Amino acid sequence: MITAGIDIGSITTKAAVMAEGKIRGTRVIFTGYNAEQAGTNVYEELLKELGIEKSDVRRVVSTGYGRNSVKFMDKAMTEIICHGVGAHYLNPRVRSVIDIGGQDSKAIVLDEKGKVKNFAMNDKCAAGTGRFLEVMARALEVDLDGFGALSLRASDPSRISSLCTVFAESEVISLISKGEKRENIIAGIHESIAARVAAMANRLRIAPLVVMTGGVAKNIGVVKAIERKIGMAVEVSEYAQVNGAIGAAFLATSLK
Amino acid sequence: MNKMPEILLFFLAKIKKIALHFKKKKKMKEIMMVYYMEAKSARISGRKVAWITSGGPVEPLIAMDVIPVYPENHGAMIGASKMGTDLCEKSESMGYSSDLCSYARSDIACATVNGGPIGGLPRPDMLICCNNICGTVLKWYEVQARYFNVPLFIFDTPFCHVGYAEEARRYVRRQLDEYVLFLEKTCGRKMDSDHLKAVGKLSLEGQRLWQAVLATTANSPAPMTAFDAFYHLALIVTLRGTPLVIDYYTQLLEKMKDRVARGIGAIPNEKYRLLWDNIPIWPRTRWLSEKLASHNACLVADTYTSAWCGTTKYIDENNFFDSMAEAYTRIYLNIGVDEMAHIVLEMVDKYKVDGIVMHSNRSCKPYSLGQYDIQKIVEKERGIPCLMIEADMVDERSFSESQVSTRIDAFMEIVKQRKGSQAAD
Amino acid sequence: MKQCDEFYEILKDPGSYGRKMKEQGRKIVGYFCSYTPEEIIYAAGAHPFRIFATGGNIHFADAHFQSYCCSLVRGALEGALAGNLDFLDGAVFPHTCDSIQRLSDIWRMNVKGPFHVDVVLPVKLDTESARAYMIDILKKFGNDLASHLRVQITDDKLKNAIKTFNTIRGSLKRLYELKAENPGIISGSDLYAIVKASMMMDRDHLTEALPAVIEELEKKKGNAELYAGKRIVLAGGVCNHPDIYRIIEEAGAAVVWDDFCTGSRYFEESVKDNADPIAAIAGRYMNRPVCPAKHAGIFTRGENLLRIAKEKGAGGVVFFFLKFCDPHAFDYPYMKEFLDREGIPSMMFEVEDQLPSEGQLRTRFETFVDML
Repeated sequence: MITAGIDIGSITTKAAVMAEGKIRGTRVIFTGYNAEQAGTNVYEELLKELGIEKSDVRRVVSTGYGRNSVKFMDKAMTEIICHGVGAHYLNPRVRSVIDIGGQDSKAIVLDEKGKVKNFAMNDKCAAGTGRFLEVMARALEVDLDGFGALSLRASDPSRISSLCTVFAESEVISLISKGEKRENIIAGIHESIAARVAAMANRLRIAPLVVMTGGVAKNIGVVKAIERKIGMAVEVSEYAQVNGAIGAAFLATSLK
Repeated sequence: MNKMPEILLFFLAKIKKIALHFKKKKKMKEIMMVYYMEAKSARISGRKVAWITSGGPVEPLIAMDVIPVYPENHGAMIGASKMGTDLCEKSESMGYSSDLCSYARSDIACATVNGGPIGGLPRPDMLICCNNICGTVLKWYEVQARYFNVPLFIFDTPFCHVGYAEEARRYVRRQLDEYVLFLEKTCGRKMDSDHLKAVGKLSLEGQRLWQAVLATTANSPAPMTAFDAFYHLALIVTLRGTPLVIDYYTQLLEKMKDRVARGIGAIPNEKYRLLWDNIPIWPRTRWLSEKLASHNACLVADTYTSAWCGTTKYIDENNFFDSMAEAYTRIYLNIGVDEMAHIVLEMVDKYKVDGIVMHSNRSCKPYSLGQYDIQKIVEKERGIPCLMIEADMVDERSFSESQVSTRIDAFMEIVKQRKGSQAAD
Repeated sequence: MKQCDEFYEILKDPGSYGRKMKEQGRKIVGYFCSYTPEEIIYAAGAHPFRIFATGGNIHFADAHFQSYCCSLVRGALEGALAGNLDFLDGAVFPHTCDSIQRLSDIWRMNVKGPFHVDVVLPVKLDTESARAYMIDILKKFGNDLASHLRVQITDDKLKNAIKTFNTIRGSLKRLYELKAENPGIISGSDLYAIVKASMMMDRDHLTEALPAVIEELEKKKGNAELYAGKRIVLAGGVCNHPDIYRIIEEAGAAVVWDDFCTGSRYFEESVKDNADPIAAIAGRYMNRPVCPAKHAGIFTRGENLLRIAKEKGAGGVVFFFLKFCDPHAFDYPYMKEFLDREGIPSMMFEVEDQLPSEGQLRTRFETFVDML
């Protein structure tokens, strides 16, 4: 049986196709201003790449903030549920998921079946989301993709105390003008975002095995900073960014 | 070329001031160290420890030889040692909202990890919560009552929006009796009312001495700043009713009178006199002090330290116990905003103040909500400018140095301009 | 449901309802907080009218309240300063929390109205001296009202008021019970509208309007199919957000009870018989389910919430708080622990007077319902 999952996020839209319980392929595109169109595009593009006809796909589950705009879905489920299912599918030993996306972050606690036991979300405030890193990358005039590697070379991470992204940005600018090393500032930025997300996770009393999902999981600096703050190892799968879509595709297999 | 001697004088004065400060500081530091050590070893000495709110009636505790410990004073220490952020984060991971009072958050977290600068407070044998300062303490002490599983006494002082009602007086007076009964039960012995009378006398004397110390800054130049007052405040808050307090403030008053007589100011070049409102920003008092001094501005008075001698007029020297009801109910934070504004105007006049610095403290709603109205009244009635600094008393994450620095600079421009134009007139 | 129409009408524009009553010659007394002794206002011949936040953007109130003040207080002052409440003949402020305390002062200093009364109720509700003070302060309130409104409040009027409010409370409770028995017979939004409007509607009319709804529901009860969805209890303070009921229902659950100031705490516990009507009224306010801004024991609220969740067969509890509401935020951790120990899932949601986007609400509620 072939199923598909579509995860429409505010910045990127992801699709995953599963066949006979195995991942056949995944795809990521920018969402743009038309969520519905993005959902359709990513789906059609992935099917084309895999050489699968739409009629071959048995069920489709959509997720993400734009989940209800996907006309061809059979069911819409929240991204929290899908991230939990996806993480569990990829590794049944997973008990906690930390997801940092472009505009929100979540912490999810799972039971041994991959069902959500508890969750917390931050979708009110840019601090603790990918947006925070974008703002800082601009202020530092550094490519965001290089953040991870640079932070690992830090000798003495700066302390950025502001709760607010805008104030934190002015703290960073102030550090730049004082001649602070880029690596240290970036490490401080990672500490800051990790603190916010870890606070949310600690409230839930997360337990190992902890995985990180979402685009920011590609940043090794943030991953390591979170590990320090929660006092547990954090694993990142190669499928981190498309984890929600995979979960959706997997959920689709049990739809009647 | 002419600037050289000026700079030398400036540095000499600064060194002198630091030395004087350090000498005084050492004594207070010693006293507080002994105080906390005694509290932490109470179990061994067989004494009981009570946690009490900063506005709570401590005299009966002193009379019963119970050691009073103040989580709020401890909160100030946590803030001053810059340990507030970590403890607040810990409390947030326990489920407490980051919008709650940072004294409460730090203390609740601290109790579970014995954190903070002195390795945590000693376990309480009882909790005494007086809500004259705010409603938060009620919730905070409920949390600790659940955590420590010890008796909790709540001293409910009804809010005085427009005066002191007869109904409130009766209620509070009855609770004073209940309080004594509670202490007798918890300590297992009777209250010695003669001893309580004596403690009451000492308390009143201590408050009057503190009042006299604060009043010395009405002189120009002021012999000490509000930052000094924040420091010397500790004793009247924590050990009110003991002879120690009398000795300390008598000495301090002498020192201040001496400085006044010799025209020695706390800052080298006092040009502008300011009033501080609200609880200090504990992690940044030194930064603020230096920043203001760089503008030749001296914080000569504040509404916070004066709160511990603000109700002496309600105390009957010969009937301390009865009059405690009114004295503890009509404190600065338990009265209407308009009455607070009136007191601020009185202070503006008494201390000849050129401007007001208001700390808009996210942690303290009773103190901060109403500041905008007080600001308006002061500007209207006295025409002096007010500066708002948004921050928090313990949680550094709410303090933005560049923002505050800019605001202070801009405010001082206005103060200077206004004073300059006045001089011209 | 047709019988709910007039309730919705009031909520659409409470101000115009208040003005209409004023035109009919009634004295309208605005109040905050469910601890307000409405019986005394009614006995004074006046109409108790609860004040909520405007729900709109804050403009005037920013000059008086910092942003870290809750949106109920800011929104209420906003309405007053915008002139929306100029039909009030007076405003009553019972002691509640630090923010309402300051709202009273700032309101008194800035809002021009015929009269302003503070009812400084005790914070403690579990001692004899607090009870004596409560009685004292209610007597004082009666005297203050009587002098402002230039009326006499007799014992008979008070006894009649007690009867009226007991009837209203009993009806509201009956509605809640009917819903708990079969959540499908009335929607959460309808029930919400009824309870909220009951705090503003003419109380005499209410004693007829409520039984009409009850009658309709009793009829439906027999024919309705058994509810098969999930059951949720809501807990918090003032809930000014009818939308959440719809979203919860669309997610496959129903709210079967609540521990809200604007919900069950408003009507639970009737006034018991007592020769002195003021003492009787005081008894009800001492004994009703306690608000977190008051003290009636350190485990009372947690035990009460647990009891409600168990009795009503709730599969989960949603804590629904206003941002910056300190009393509720302090109680939350231990109350959550009570539920955790019994294996009852819970979720906490912090909102401002203006709700976040529907998308954000849906995500949370849908996920939570799936957890049950």
